Amino acid sequence: MAFPHRPDAPELPDFSMLKRLARDQLIYLLEQLPGKKDLFIEADLMSPLDRIANVSILKQHEVDKLYKVENKPALSSSEQLCFLVRPRIKNMRYIANLVNADKLAGRTRKYKVIFSPQKFYACEMVLEEEGIYGDVSCDEWAFSLLPLDVDLLSMELPEFFRDYFLEGDQRWINTVAQALHLLSTLYGSFPNCYGIGRCAKMSYELWRKLEEEEDGETKGRRPEIGHIFLLDRDMDFVTALCSQVVYEGLVDDTFRIKCGSVDFGPEVTSSDKSLKVLLNAEDKVFNEIRNEHFSNVFGFLSQKARNLQAQYDRRRGMDIKQMKNFVSQELKGLKQEHRLLSLHIGACESIMKKKTKQDFQELIKTEHALLEGFSIRESTSYIEEHIDRQVSPIESLRLMCLLSITENTDKAAGKITDAFSSLAKRSNFRAISKKLNLIPRVDGEYDLKVPRDMAYVFSGAYVPLSCRIIEQVLERRSWQGLDEVVRLLNCSEFAFTDMIKDDKASSESLRLILVVFLGGCTFSEISALRFLGREKGYRFIFLTTAVTNSARLMEAMSEVKA
Amino acid sequence: MDCYTANWNPLGDSAFYRKYELYSMDWDLKEELRDCLVAAAPYGGPIALLRNPWRKEKAASVRPVLDIYSASGVPLASLLWKSGPVVSLGWSAEEELLCVQEDGAVLVYGLHGDFRRHFSMGNEVLQNRVLDARIFHTEFGSGVAILTGAHRFTLSANVGDLKLRRMPEVPGLQSAPSCWTTLCQDRVAHILLAVGPDLYLLDHAACSAVIPPGLAPGVSSFLQMAVSFTYRHLALFTDTGYIWMGTASLKEKLCEFNCNIRAPPKQMVWCSRPRSKERAVVVAWERRLMVVGDAPESIQFVLDEDSYLVPELDGVRIFSRSTHEFLHEVPAASEEIFKIASMAPGALLLEAQKEYEKESQKADEYLREIQELGQLTQAVQQCIEAAGHEHQPEMQKSLLRAASFGKCFLDRFPPDSFVRMCQDLRVLNAVRDYHIGIPLTYSQYKQLTIQVLLDRLVLRRLYPLAIQICEYLRLPEVQGVSRILAHWACYKVQQKDVSDEDVARAINQKLGDTPGVSYSDIAARAYGCGRTELAIKLLEYEPRSGEQVPLLLKMKRSKLALSKAIESGDTDLVFTVLLHLKNELNRGDFFMTLRNQPMALSLYRQFCKHQELETLKDLYNQDDNHQELGSFHIRASYAAEERIEGRVAALQTAADAFYKAKNEFAAKATEDQMRLLRLQRRLEDELGGQFLDLSLHDTVTTLILGGHNKRAEQLARDFRIPDKRLWWLKLTALADLEDWEELEKFSKSKKSPIGYLPFVEICMKQHNKYEAKKYASRVGPEQKVKALLLVGDVAQAADVAIEHRNEAELSLVLSHCTGATDGATADKIQRARAQAQKK
Repeated sequence: MAFPHRPDAPELPDFSMLKRLARDQLIYLLEQLPGKKDLFIEADLMSPLDRIANVSILKQHEVDKLYKVENKPALSSSEQLCFLVRPRIKNMRYIANLVNADKLAGRTRKYKVIFSPQKFYACEMVLEEEGIYGDVSCDEWAFSLLPLDVDLLSMELPEFFRDYFLEGDQRWINTVAQALHLLSTLYGSFPNCYGIGRCAKMSYELWRKLEEEEDGETKGRRPEIGHIFLLDRDMDFVTALCSQVVYEGLVDDTFRIKCGSVDFGPEVTSSDKSLKVLLNAEDKVFNEIRNEHFSNVFGFLSQKARNLQAQYDRRRGMDIKQMKNFVSQELKGLKQEHRLLSLHIGACESIMKKKTKQDFQELIKTEHALLEGFSIRESTSYIEEHIDRQVSPIESLRLMCLLSITENTDKAAGKITDAFSSLAKRSNFRAISKKLNLIPRVDGEYDLKVPRDMAYVFSGAYVPLSCRIIEQVLERRSWQGLDEVVRLLNCSEFAFTDMIKDDKASSESLRLILVVFLGGCTFSEISALRFLGREKGYRFIFLTTAVTNSARLMEAMSEVKA
Repeated sequence: MDCYTANWNPLGDSAFYRKYELYSMDWDLKEELRDCLVAAAPYGGPIALLRNPWRKEKAASVRPVLDIYSASGVPLASLLWKSGPVVSLGWSAEEELLCVQEDGAVLVYGLHGDFRRHFSMGNEVLQNRVLDARIFHTEFGSGVAILTGAHRFTLSANVGDLKLRRMPEVPGLQSAPSCWTTLCQDRVAHILLAVGPDLYLLDHAACSAVIPPGLAPGVSSFLQMAVSFTYRHLALFTDTGYIWMGTASLKEKLCEFNCNIRAPPKQMVWCSRPRSKERAVVVAWERRLMVVGDAPESIQFVLDEDSYLVPELDGVRIFSRSTHEFLHEVPAASEEIFKIASMAPGALLLEAQKEYEKESQKADEYLREIQELGQLTQAVQQCIEAAGHEHQPEMQKSLLRAASFGKCFLDRFPPDSFVRMCQDLRVLNAVRDYHIGIPLTYSQYKQLTIQVLLDRLVLRRLYPLAIQICEYLRLPEVQGVSRILAHWACYKVQQKDVSDEDVARAINQKLGDTPGVSYSDIAARAYGCGRTELAIKLLEYEPRSGEQVPLLLKMKRSKLALSKAIESGDTDLVFTVLLHLKNELNRGDFFMTLRNQPMALSLYRQFCKHQELETLKDLYNQDDNHQELGSFHIRASYAAEERIEGRVAALQTAADAFYKAKNEFAAKATEDQMRLLRLQRRLEDELGGQFLDLSLHDTVTTLILGGHNKRAEQLARDFRIPDKRLWWLKLTALADLEDWEELEKFSKSKKSPIGYLPFVEICMKQHNKYEAKKYASRVGPEQKVKALLLVGDVAQAADVAIEHRNEAELSLVLSHCTGATDGATADKIQRARAQAQKK
């Protein structure tokens, strides 16, 4: 179980450097406001901040109290206020209200606004309009890449999706370009670049410009990562809209993984407390099951539990010396493993409970039918019933979107999901699916224990389109021969390959591939590509604007009452 | 070589002074220097002459003429002076000519006579006029000090950052001081003035009388004072022909000298070199030049013609109508080598090399002598150093040759000092050339730095030479060639007689893609000269579109700026342009511009959504974008309006917009929402409770839950709720109420469009197995097994499954069989399976 990497798989670069860089820069910025200060943090930045600098580091640099930026006045008595925010207009108003209230009260304090990852002119303009531009000092915390795991970098910008794909706002493209520039500065340039999508193309071009402006310093560096692949989320909405059945994806769908960690409630921890658990490669148990189809997980965990028991049992026959050894060396590890094991078993149980309640099997069946294009009538009436029963508006909408894209119908579904159909333009899903063989022909049962292709992440019913595109391009080392697919994706103008002649790239680096998902990627896609990597001896590194799933995607498109 | 030291003049025991010619001047001066106002810039800088400065007639023929020459006398500029009477001229550190007028105005001219700017030395001066003025240099820049008719001093320590300081009054001062100068101590400028036998020091706070220590008695007046180049030393010339030399702080006397000439000298300046212990001043009278120092005898020269002294870092330049000379203390290295009968290692090495050239064995003897003393390294160094101080290339060469010769016999002599000296001398010889006319000495050159020298060449428009020097010294492009090319281009755009196309092409041909060249800077210069079209053409060459935007905005080419900003991909830049456009254009034009730029439009829309909702509406209106307009009003109906009438009205506007957008679905849905809102309002009025903002589904549910079944039915009919949906709704609501009786009645009202399995499910959800079983029997055959399993009737489920001969159903039942109780059933299924397989 939990397929090991091929022995020739390349080593991943060390991304912890990104954390150190971000931390040092933040500390530098905090030190710019010497003395005690209160720090106001935007809610969205709290989790990422926690991964970079914990409270004790902040305290070391004279941060006194921490506040959340929210819609109520803060009762800070500090003489210096520091705001750590995303460049959003509503944050500017919040700050302006606070400063103006101080002014009315005849109070003078020092204010500093730190924008992350960068400031926007519009924000400064709002500060000016509110008459406080001269009262605050503005800084940028260029923190745009958070290593969530050894192979996963997230920009933690969920709004990228809505801003770019729905509102047509290109402001974040520069941020993406800067992030790529940082990566190439730290890890060498990327000899092979591929991309698809308008945003991918713009980001790429802007990034190239940045590289050109830079002096030749980085050019001499030996590239550590051989390929970079940029992909727009709107190339493949289908994959992101499907229910996830790989363990990590399922945990995300069920409990919502936030910034690489998850809050397991009392029903999981089987105590009266919630527990925040970091989910990454360091969690040995999780690491072995994260990419597994859910149907295998339970079996694996119970096997693991038995092994663990056996290891505990070994101590029975031990003499004192052996026992001493056991206690000092193994016991801690076993206990840790035990704790993790019971957590994941708890999570599994909880997932099972929830999923059977809502007739998960039926739902999956419908999704597969939609993907394959079979029994549309049944699927439609399933969706109708879903609405009639008022299960969940977001879920219903999701299914309608899936129907709309896979069937390319412009009927009722398309109209209700207006926001969505404006995104999906003309979908040629059926044709693409055929062309790329996304629905594997199955003779007999698909053995989920021994997957044979990436389709396993959807129970063998569907190979994620995004991952298939990446696979095909990497195989050809270009878009050659994929013209028809590119045309069907409505992307003829925006598919590009760029080989920078570089003989210095080692064969090892050429098997490292950075995949950039503009608009978010799902854990299923990550699992699928990890699988592909193991099959082919590659290793993938993922850079995403945010980790997403179907629910987040739908929520991003619904209007929230401000 | 015999007469090499012929022009060496000893002063005391330890120092020699020499004077040599830099240039013979052929500047064809008609006037005597004494009839002109003269200013010469240090570091071999240009010379400015203002002829007839004191004539006040208005006639053009006798108007003053301002001429600017290089140090070699090459004319650089000549202009008729049309402004007011000039009191004093002086050069700033940037080689700008400052002309102080009688009315206190200071006019600033460039090296080529181009007027730059002007500033005033304050209002007080206007009335009292300027009596005298000095331009002085400090580490911060160039300053101006003036003496007004009211005998008050005003000074500005840096004309680049003009701050006027009026100095305190000197008590009892009735007439102009006999002489005065500016001092600079502890980074502050002071004024030292002499009135009769008294000396006063003015700082910005107070006026204090000072007495030089050790001043000879009998002084009744000071005629001249001189402060050294570095402000460290001061010399005073008294009416008794006595010269006092000491520190500028007036705390220490260095030496004194009595020249016995009582006539006031024309000029007195210090002549000393950095790091030398010798102090000397040069005093000039009409026909006599005297070098005095710490020695009983002075050095005297006869001046054939009217001369002018220019103090330098390491000596004094003396120019007259026909010659330009340099007087300085002979540097130590040169002295060692060339002093008569010198046995210094450098001198021996020079001899050795000469003998070697003559193929004489003496070369070996000399060399051996140096080597025996272990002084070869020192000898080489001496020769290299001395070469730097020589003016004649022949002499430089022979010294360098000697150094190179000596180097051969040294194992590890680091070559860079030799190489650097060769390079430096080559540069120096190039700029000292008559045509260039910058007679820099090696020490001055090192003090000035190559960067400043290049700047000065650029200022003189000597671009090719500057570039050659950069290339020769292999300076990095950004600091060197590119910078000079950029300057050249900035000059080029000022050539008004050349067409825009030609200038742009010429510049592009020269500059190409040279790194570090900013086309936008050049374009800005072109725009500064009023050549907008040229600026636009030049901007086309700018590779970074972001750089083009600010200038385009300045030139009011906002639309072009917008497309360039969009090209750059920098949304902030786009936004800057947008706001610019918004202020510049009227609303209609602004919107039209946006219409053609979707990227800018969506950016602006985003902004409006947060900041200017009304503008957003106008935008959609302008574009006839009825779909978005509809959505806008829908949003408004939720956000802005509180009253129900207002909300309905907003929705009506939205519905109209949707009709215009031909989106009937949205229009109908909006109208339905309006109806629903009105209805909910009525329900609230009539029944009480909370209905507003519930969905239709929830409204009906709420009615049922409240027991208003009739109303619920009515609503369902009114809004044509589909049958299936209504059944689900009622089913859920009645189960929630646990009104089992009503539920049963409902189930029998007609054949259920959703089947009866949902009934079973919902009863089980409420844990009412009894009711559930009632419906299980009515479930259709397809779902029968499921229903039976739900109510826990495994045995019957097995029977039905066997009857259906359905494999999937069989396994489903089997999975529900728990070991103990359903053993028999499980067996039964297994048997049935086996049977089925047999067939």
